[in-house]
Amino acid sequence: MRLSLLTRERLFASALLIPCFLFVIAFAFYPIFYSLFLSLHKIILSLPHLGRPFTGLDNYRELLGDRVALHSLINTLIFVFATTILEILFGLVIAIVINRHFKGRGIVRAAILIPWAIPTVVSSQMWRFIFNDQYGLFNYMLYGSNTSAYTAWLAHPATAFMAIIAADVWKTSSFAGLLILAGLQLIPDELYEAAEIDGASSWQQFSKITLPLIKPAILIALLFRTMDAFRVFDLVFVMTQGGPADSTNVLQFYGYKKIFAEGLMGYGSTISVLVFFITFSISLMYIRTIGTRLFQEKR
Amino acid sequence: MIELVKKSSQLFPAATLMQRSFMLISFCLVCTLAITGCTKKTEDQRTTIHFVTWKPNIPEAWEEIFSIFKSEHPDIELLREIGPHSSSAFHDLLTQKLKNKSKDIDVFLMDVIWPPEFGAAGWALPLDGMFPSSEQKKFMDGTILANTFRGNIYGVPLFIDSGILYYRKDLLDTYGFTPPSTWRELVSQSSAIVAGEAGKGNQIYGFSGQFKQYEGLVCDMQEYILSNGGTILDPETGKAGLAGKRAIEAVDFVRGEIIGKAAPVGVLTYQEPESLDIFVQGKAVFHRNWPYAWRVSNDPERSKVAGKVGISKLPHFKDNRSYSTLGGWQVGISNYSQNKDAAWEFVKFLSSTRVQKILALKAGRAPTRKALYEDAEILKSYPHFSSMNDVFLTAYPRPRTPLYPAVSNVLQRYFSRAISSPDINLLKEAVAASEEIEKIIAMEK
Repeated sequence: MRLSLLTRERLFASALLIPCFLFVIAFAFYPIFYSLFLSLHKIILSLPHLGRPFTGLDNYRELLGDRVALHSLINTLIFVFATTILEILFGLVIAIVINRHFKGRGIVRAAILIPWAIPTVVSSQMWRFIFNDQYGLFNYMLYGSNTSAYTAWLAHPATAFMAIIAADVWKTSSFAGLLILAGLQLIPDELYEAAEIDGASSWQQFSKITLPLIKPAILIALLFRTMDAFRVFDLVFVMTQGGPADSTNVLQFYGYKKIFAEGLMGYGSTISVLVFFITFSISLMYIRTIGTRLFQEKR
Repeated sequence: MIELVKKSSQLFPAATLMQRSFMLISFCLVCTLAITGCTKKTEDQRTTIHFVTWKPNIPEAWEEIFSIFKSEHPDIELLREIGPHSSSAFHDLLTQKLKNKSKDIDVFLMDVIWPPEFGAAGWALPLDGMFPSSEQKKFMDGTILANTFRGNIYGVPLFIDSGILYYRKDLLDTYGFTPPSTWRELVSQSSAIVAGEAGKGNQIYGFSGQFKQYEGLVCDMQEYILSNGGTILDPETGKAGLAGKRAIEAVDFVRGEIIGKAAPVGVLTYQEPESLDIFVQGKAVFHRNWPYAWRVSNDPERSKVAGKVGISKLPHFKDNRSYSTLGGWQVGISNYSQNKDAAWEFVKFLSSTRVQKILALKAGRAPTRKALYEDAEILKSYPHFSSMNDVFLTAYPRPRTPLYPAVSNVLQRYFSRAISSPDINLLKEAVAASEEIEKIIAMEK
């Protein structure tokens, strides 16, 4: 029996997709399901004699009553909210600036991407130095050589938290800017010419033409930034280790401590599963909004 | 080659030319791998041992030690793997490897708080056979106890750490003070000196120590609590003592009199290196640190106060005695090591008298072997070793449990909250932290 050309094509296409599926299964699904599996067990590395008993939802129940987890969840949410908004705002400004035609635009575009290109561990270390209380650049900018006024920015709960937000905004605004720039470049120049002829002010041009047309790009930038911000870890690890007074403790760092420092594999996995579900639902929400919008526009 | 491919067609008649060539190539590859694998073994009789260590403060001393070992044991190849400098980061890396039963670890350094955890988890090899009690007797009791868990010994003490007070001899002399014996004296002396120096246009701080939210915070805070007659965790009953009156008083003292008063607020972000920096730059009158700071602060290349440094026991509160937290590093052998004999050779060498002597003289590390505290050469470099001997002998351990990292994280969180928030209710926080600690201890059963 000979299969029709179409069926054969389809079979061939599926065969070619298999490696990709295997890859996703091995590197995305397997870890997620394994974390889920671990989160239903009591596993303590330093107490192997307890075995690995199945405890059902015990870990989740404990998580509900864990005040440190709640505190770090709140910290994480504030961090996500603050950084995403600031990054989109700065990203918008960056995108508009580098979308203009001016001399040396290539260099400026490259320069703006530098923070994004530096590994977070390195830039966090740099920001730790900048906020240092004895020789920090930030203090020097504020107070010059009046060293007695120097402030220990990372020693106060509120300013330490702001320092981490600043470091993240500095690093990833350009990424948001890049995404928004892609949206900006899709807007045809004729629209602005027509607006000019109709006598629209530049603010009107911005609010009536630019903003509505880059909305999808902004939404995508929002999606990426929210999910990324939710998984913040390296900044906290390098800059503050969660201190002072646990003020910069975030969920991912708390989970890391549970698994890697305390050896509580089961409970730590429960935290990872929580982070997974939160980011998953956030992305679903965004994809729905973006998806329908793009769909409508196409029609 | 083509001949071979053709011939192989008789073996696999169904296979195409392509397939046959492919099989042949794979076969050749396997053969070469097998052959080179074999020759490597016969050529090289040396056993390789992997030593997981951190980046040392004074690398020259360690280089010397390793080169001695190399020349005396040509049959053992020593590979060093450098882990992070911070104890907790080092712990996370090491346990990650041990958890996966890595064969790339034979010998590793252990912080003084890890042997119960490493022993209970089955990561560290019990050394009782090679390290009998007759040999153990030559080491300080506290360090042996720290390495013992449920009747087995899991590490050999390499050097001992205990909290020490460093002070500016020159400044104390100028203002007519003797080293403070109580914490209140330390505070009043430093405010007098800081005010006096400020009048001369010299801006300095009174005190520097380690108050960042990390392991060192537990060490520092334990010294305040114990020297006020409080406890952190009662080893007998497993009850946490943080909410006791004495413990609360001590924490309140640190919050009210040390942070932002005697010491700059910045100490809330300081680990050992940052706090020592302030002292060696001549910007602090008093400094709490481990013994290694003696060498660094007297090294004219690294310190502006070389020769002006005094050393003394840590202060205590009224009607109490001084306590130092026990620190220090041990050498252990991985249970999954494939060269345990060679590994023990190396451990034996590292903990030997002469290596400890090199570490003491060149790296400023306090020996764990009792005999070295009577060694003339060491006493010449460290005259305080004889008078401060009991600081090492009575150094007090942190809670000993396989779940110590979890206990420590609760303590770090509590202490950091307590000392960096001026209006937090200490008792309430202490009760909550105590409950969490007792819950962790109960998990052991």
